[in-house]
Amino acid sequence: MGALFKKEIYIYLCTPFGYIFSGLFLLLCGIIFSFYNLSGTRADILGMLGALNMVSIVIFPVLTMKLLAEEKKSSTDQLLFTSPVTVTSIIIGKYLAALFVFLTTLAATGIFAVFIAIFGDTTPGAIIGSYFSFAMLGAAYIAICLFASSLTENQVTSAILGFGFLFGFMIIGFLSNSMPWPFMNKVLKAIAILSKYDEFTNGVLRLSPLVYYLSFTLIFLYLTIQVVDRRLKDKEA
Amino acid sequence: MIEVKGLTKNYGSNRGINNISFKVQKGEILGLLGSNGAGKTTIMNLLTGYKPPTSGEIYIDGINLLEKPMEAKKKIGYLPEIPPLYPELKVISYLRFVSDLKDVPVRIREERINKVMNLVNINDVKGRLIRNLSKGYKQRLGLAQALIANPDVLILDEPTVGLDPKQIHEIRSLIQNLSKEHTIILSSHILAEVSMVCDRVIILKNGEIVAIDTPQKLARELFNTEKFFVRIKGPSDKILSEIKDIEGVLSVEKQKNDPVSGFSCFIIENSKSVDVKTPLFFKMAFLGYAIHEIRPESASLEDVFMQLTAETNCNEEAV
Repeated sequence: MGALFKKEIYIYLCTPFGYIFSGLFLLLCGIIFSFYNLSGTRADILGMLGALNMVSIVIFPVLTMKLLAEEKKSSTDQLLFTSPVTVTSIIIGKYLAALFVFLTTLAATGIFAVFIAIFGDTTPGAIIGSYFSFAMLGAAYIAICLFASSLTENQVTSAILGFGFLFGFMIIGFLSNSMPWPFMNKVLKAIAILSKYDEFTNGVLRLSPLVYYLSFTLIFLYLTIQVVDRRLKDKEA
Repeated sequence: MIEVKGLTKNYGSNRGINNISFKVQKGEILGLLGSNGAGKTTIMNLLTGYKPPTSGEIYIDGINLLEKPMEAKKKIGYLPEIPPLYPELKVISYLRFVSDLKDVPVRIREERINKVMNLVNINDVKGRLIRNLSKGYKQRLGLAQALIANPDVLILDEPTVGLDPKQIHEIRSLIQNLSKEHTIILSSHILAEVSMVCDRVIILKNGEIVAIDTPQKLARELFNTEKFFVRIKGPSDKILSEIKDIEGVLSVEKQKNDPVSGFSCFIIENSKSVDVKTPLFFKMAFLGYAIHEIRPESASLEDVFMQLTAETNCNEEAV
């Protein structure tokens, strides 16, 4: 796990993918902070994270598109899967590397939060809560996109799939409101990834959204491990 | 060291390999020989635990690969057909990554990396990006990767592909040296290489073993006739008819003559049970044609290979 984590971090530092992700992320934060907070004289971090949320469906797939697809394509997976390491630790190592890049980038936006905390009248609790919830959401996004990367050996397909999944989960939330059947409404709300996010960012730290995002992450990591493991154990392929 | 029993691998309805069984002793070099698609890579992918067999058993040093993959994989170093390299990494960081992956203890890691880099002679490129390496260096780095954890078993899929003749020679002698401490299975479609390096050879055809033996025995036993080359001073037509009359000569093949020097060259095939060289010598001496050269034309592994695969071809056509 450690070996994979280190290698992926190293590759993020040597290839454009990590920089594209962090660059776009920080650029957007800067733009939003300038217009929404500085020009608009608003003192909450929610606007920035909310807008980021919208673009995250595009930038998260960039972060993860290479992770599993590229290994298969360049047949470096032969090295990984003939080494004495389990599929689980390979996937977790890769996941943690992507998560690390995301969290480091997110931490860099802390400078905006510091300004808001000093000059605004929001409580530190609200800011920390907003950050925490966005981190949880990002963790789930990475797991979903990693799953997309496990399904194909083409990076572009992997990115498009990741985008499709995230877009799907996002759009379900809007659809659920226009569902005529109350039951379907509830089901769709349950899997709409953003419905809990709104709940989260109201400034109230509750256990249920936390558990919700954590389970989302774990389910998709589990699915990724299953996809890779099944393919390796297929006796006729 | 390695034992394989009844190994079968199907790809859907296509047959990959069928009922392969063999054993490899410690310190032995086994060669897998076969044309493209004969099943060499499939066997290697199964032996390294990259893919599971449809049926059959694999034991590495007595450990069942399918039941205890983690333990068995520790004993194997694998160089796949395409070396598994990350073009973004530098040679040295790649080797560090592989040693971490293969659980090489950190305290001996650098020492191990240096040793392996010296062994495959890539010390001069250790700071370069893998992307910028030539094919020969990439191949050798692939070999370094397989060696890094000092595994008991080395499985090398076409280890000399893409190397220049000097490097091929180096890698071959390296492989022979390695066999003192490692058990090696290598595949190749270069017959000369296999007969030079390997202690035993498996010849594969359509996923089945058609022959398994030492290269020398394979060449000897498969042919009950032998061939030799003669160079005689004299008119070729006359000599040809005289040779044909000798008892035991099965065929005579006239070679290209050198009209200036007056030499005639022939390749004579005779059955192993009859001595034709003695009557040939006296006959030519009697006729006054001097024999300047006689040398055996030994059946090369290439002949064996062609014969074996051709035979099965005929059988298939007959069916």
